[in-house]
Amino acid sequence: MASTAAVSSKARASSTEASLTPTRAFVPDPYLDLATYAAAADLLTLSLGPQHPSTHGVFRVVLYLDGELIVKAVPHVGYLHRGVEKLCEKLSYSNVTPILDKNDYVAPMCNEQAANMVFEQLLGVEVPLRAKFVRTLLAELQRIASHLLWLGTFAMDLGGALGGGTSVFMYCFRERELILDLFEELTGCRFHYNTHCIGGNRHDIPAGYPALVHQSLDLIEARLLEYLGMLEHPIFRDRTRGVGTVDAELALELGLTGPLLRASGIDHDLRRDAPYHVYDLLDVNVICDDGGDCYARYKVRLQEIAESIRLSRLLIDNLPAGPICSTKPLSGVTQFKITSGQAYVAIESPRGELGTWLIAGGKGMNPYRMKLRPPSLHALAAVPYLFPRHTLSDAVAILGSLDPIMGEADR
Amino acid sequence: MSKPPDESERNYEHPLYDYMLRVPGLDVAVTSIDQLLTWGATHSLWIFPMATSCCGIEFMAAAASRVDLDRMGAMIRGTPRQCDVMVVAGTITVKMAPRVKRLWDQMPEPKWCVAMGSCAISGDFYRDIYSVVPGIDTAIPVDVYIPGCPPNPETVMAGLLRLQDKVRLRRAGLPVPSDERPEVHDRTIVPTIGRYEDRKRRGGADPISEAQLESARRLLVRGFPMPEGIDAAATPVAPAKEEPKL
Ligand code: SF4
Repeated sequence: MASTAAVSSKARASSTEASLTPTRAFVPDPYLDLATYAAAADLLTLSLGPQHPSTHGVFRVVLYLDGELIVKAVPHVGYLHRGVEKLCEKLSYSNVTPILDKNDYVAPMCNEQAANMVFEQLLGVEVPLRAKFVRTLLAELQRIASHLLWLGTFAMDLGGALGGGTSVFMYCFRERELILDLFEELTGCRFHYNTHCIGGNRHDIPAGYPALVHQSLDLIEARLLEYLGMLEHPIFRDRTRGVGTVDAELALELGLTGPLLRASGIDHDLRRDAPYHVYDLLDVNVICDDGGDCYARYKVRLQEIAESIRLSRLLIDNLPAGPICSTKPLSGVTQFKITSGQAYVAIESPRGELGTWLIAGGKGMNPYRMKLRPPSLHALAAVPYLFPRHTLSDAVAILGSLDPIMGEADR
Repeated sequence: MSKPPDESERNYEHPLYDYMLRVPGLDVAVTSIDQLLTWGATHSLWIFPMATSCCGIEFMAAAASRVDLDRMGAMIRGTPRQCDVMVVAGTITVKMAPRVKRLWDQMPEPKWCVAMGSCAISGDFYRDIYSVVPGIDTAIPVDVYIPGCPPNPETVMAGLLRLQDKVRLRRAGLPVPSDERPEVHDRTIVPTIGRYEDRKRRGGADPISEAQLESARRLLVRGFPMPEGIDAAATPVAPAKEEPKL
């Protein structure tokens, strides 16, 4: 009896040791059969979510813990499945935009743009240059707001980074409000804008807007340094460096995009590689990092804020004159009809490649099929690969660094 | 175990009263103590954010620096066991509703529920979708409705003030007015999008079997009754879409 206990504890110690010292050759097996695991009898099953402040919405992951080390993680999605794609099939083309706002609710502008770009492509509608500038500007401002929200919640997941609970979160929301004020000034809404339409934008830049944009951007740029002061902290670095490393190979295999891919050392950004809007006129600096860990993702996102500030300034300074929309104001739901064809449009949302695939058909009143490719779902696919061999507290940091938005992951 | 008494009738006396009344000369202070306790209960509402989607983000904004619900004493806590108020912010799906109910049951009395946003109130434009619950008040009782999609942080604060009024009334033993849920649509309608239409598209010749009806019934855990004597003929079937020519 005593000897078996000694053996099993020894086996457990060795297995724990083995998983504590990750080597390059160690590939966590997301399909690990727990029956084959040495200490299977001692595993603790822990269900994280669907309601947990650090799961960023309603994401659930079942963890199998050996001591404090995770040996297996099984993600569950679908707690926010709202049937958006199905709903789009019921709506006329001009009514789809406000629905897709709610899809990725941290970056609604990007969803609107993706949908309207795919409609315009099938309808053959040209977007005036001014509208293209405004769309690019809105996308870049939205990127700043989205990354700020990510930074705040990520720091909160790590315990406030200063040990102060929600301090960084509060600072980040202060700056995010500045961007939301800009959007409110333009569209009248803080959140779900519905400002894009087929052929351009609904709202033109009001008088005095450029000065407001500059003012807000100056404030945000100055305050970014404050974040660095708060976050460049040994505790923060210890908790993010070497945690949740994704190498380039795994990132490509999982279909990660956006900051996650760039933090793994792959130089890919749709804004530069497949330019849309007026990104071909701009010189976008693509920010990469070789780390692949949470710290690299943090650095990439923070530098992307700075880059977006630079681009926004350029865009608002060089705004061309002209019409904002090339189509007539909406007179009824039957104004736009697409009877055949299909198209796929991908744009770089703050979280990565946001794809919209549309099949048109039937009487042309509503989409036959609308498929969205949400970057968050692919980011969550990394969870079974990243969580094993990390501790429970690291799991929260990893999940935060992936920046999942369940609205678009579950759709 | 017997059924708990009706919530609206329950009187929440503090054990301190008994003690106070037994100490000679202190009973005159009870009124002031009561005021103090009421003030404390009103201004220390701890909120459990049941934040599922977009409204949750706006609720975060309400709790963060600009509007700052902390000013009203409303603390945000991530655990139901320490909280007085559950704010349901966001769309509740059929998969999520039992979890919300369970978390609600874990909260200690006295407790309050706030439905924030059209989704939590009525399901919003998702109400026709097979997977969305048309309003959280089909599962748990709601005290305050905050309309909007999403409500502004200022509106959230107005909702909180309304809740504080109710807390005051309940502590004073006065009748608490129940807020009417905005009646926007008929909740006895079975959601149509995505369930029957797909079958039709696949051929649609087979009548709906009893097993399918049963599963449809199970999906509709939403508190509204399935109409009596439902049969295949009465089941709403959307007109089939034409296949596109690609
Ligand atoms: S009411 Fe609007 S903002 Fe709130 S969860 Fe529903 S769709 Fe999102």
